[in-house]
Amino acid sequence: MLKSNPGLALCILIALAAIGFALFSGDPYYVQVVIWVFANAVLAVTLRFVLLIGELNIATAAFFGIGAYTTAVAATIFEWPFVISLLAAPVMAGLISALFGWVTLRTKGPYFLLISFAFTEIVRLFYTKSEFLGGNSGMIGMYPPMALNDYYPAIAVTILAAILFALYAAERSNLGRIFKAIQNNEDIPRSVGLNVIGLKILCFVIASTAVGLAGGVHSYTNSVIAPADFTFFVAVLALAYVKIGGEGHIAGPIIGATILTLVGQWLHSFGPYENIFYGAIIIGVLLLMPGGIIGLGDRFRGRSTTRRDPH
Amino acid sequence: MELQVQLLMNTLQIGSVYVLFALGLTLIFGVMKIVNFAHGTFFTAAALIVSSVMIWGVGTMGLSIWLSYILAFFLALAVVCLIGFIVYIFGFQHFLKDLNGSFILSIGLLLLLNGTYLILYGGVPRSIPTVVPGVVTFLGASLTLQRLLLMIVAAVITLGLYILVHRTKLGLSLRAVAEDQEAAMLQGIPFRRVALYGFLIGATLAACAGALMATVTPVTTVIGDDFLVKAFIIIIIGGLGSVVGAIIGGLLIALIESFGGYYFDPSTATLAMFVLVIVLLIVRPQGILGHAEK
Repeated sequence: MLKSNPGLALCILIALAAIGFALFSGDPYYVQVVIWVFANAVLAVTLRFVLLIGELNIATAAFFGIGAYTTAVAATIFEWPFVISLLAAPVMAGLISALFGWVTLRTKGPYFLLISFAFTEIVRLFYTKSEFLGGNSGMIGMYPPMALNDYYPAIAVTILAAILFALYAAERSNLGRIFKAIQNNEDIPRSVGLNVIGLKILCFVIASTAVGLAGGVHSYTNSVIAPADFTFFVAVLALAYVKIGGEGHIAGPIIGATILTLVGQWLHSFGPYENIFYGAIIIGVLLLMPGGIIGLGDRFRGRSTTRRDPH
Repeated sequence: MELQVQLLMNTLQIGSVYVLFALGLTLIFGVMKIVNFAHGTFFTAAALIVSSVMIWGVGTMGLSIWLSYILAFFLALAVVCLIGFIVYIFGFQHFLKDLNGSFILSIGLLLLLNGTYLILYGGVPRSIPTVVPGVVTFLGASLTLQRLLLMIVAAVITLGLYILVHRTKLGLSLRAVAEDQEAAMLQGIPFRRVALYGFLIGATLAACAGALMATVTPVTTVIGDDFLVKAFIIIIIGGLGSVVGAIIGGLLIALIESFGGYYFDPSTATLAMFVLVIVLLIVRPQGILGHAEK
């Protein structure tokens, strides 16, 4: 399988190299940056996963936060063991997303976009008003067990990379094809007897579970979480990664996340100009390279992946 | 009784600004089928211009307060119109009916413009002097004359927009394009020009809201962002693209905010709005006055 898919083999090599770097590099800052790159890649890929059914899901940010808070509560309040605290995150995110999806996925397009946006802001408001979640200052003290402390960065990168490969596999499976069919024209899958709403909810739950797990990992990586970490802006940046990398292929958001995370590290030194730069990059890429970096590669090969309104 | 009248007055005053803001958003959605997250920046720009022109007019030029306010108001409208025009020509024009593309474009604009405002104006809130002093008492509830005027001006603008949309030829083309763009084009309606007009009207409405709001609240560079979340809830409740829906939704949200904020607390009121949206989505996914998507 790997022979027929050199790109996948390359990605596995890169992931292994990143895990190796996290294990053996002595520099905690660069290890942290590698984890950020992978976490942002997961955010972007899960956002794109729901784009497969044609919905823009701002609530990606909310489920990232729900995962992080679930792990934090499990680890610091209930004092559950490491693995169980970590696994509580995707379970919680999955359950809430199933309920949220069941209610909201009957709507689509702008309605779903706006409701997922409102949900993200409301969940954040809930954290700030909840005493047991630490209110505005958030929660602290999520540490991996002592025995695992040195290996934790490598574990984090492994989990995050595994999520990326799992979502790639899901997209390539028959299920992934059905999701794309729903995006193209949902009446056709419905006409052959598929439960379109159910499948949409499934797609949404898969993505939210994945990003919930990433949130749990984030909780242990940072040891500190606060409501301000989970604004809708997280999803906005994820969408920027998707757009800049290109949404035609799963590698697009990963490339976009990598580039923008690294550029973002550099931009931090610009203070108030940081947001202006982000804005300018987003607008520039959108206007000059529709289809993103992946789309650029396709254009060289003479294929057009960009869709333009014919009017 | 007095208390209820006071809260009702509050509702009308907040609601009138919400309605103006949400009307612009819903109009732009209706015509262009895009969700403009940069809508708050129009609001902010107008409020910032009003505050700086007032300081300049009253302080440096020695003009009377109401004259500098009127000057500032129309200058703010003109500048926001210009910003809207530039943003449309170089940006949104290429993303008509592209929900995801226009969303990310508007986010880029939001970052760019808010960052620029912060550099130009700094983070310190500014208040402008009272334009119309005086207090009126109505059924035992008191209201500053300034807030009463704000409500009246907002109501007049809303009425004007209603007449524009439902009684003029431009309004007819706006509605035709909103209903079915291709059929409208077949009837000879120039879609792109109508979309531009719709966008500029929407931006101007946000500017009116901003310029009015600057008289009753301190102006900061992020003042418009607070309105955005509520405006989205308003247009979901009212139905995307519906003028009357935005008016009903705006007043309803102001009612919940005003009464809920008093009897419980502001965050409970916000949660109540969200619950309302969820319930409405279950019962009527297209909003109170929206049309079901085909």
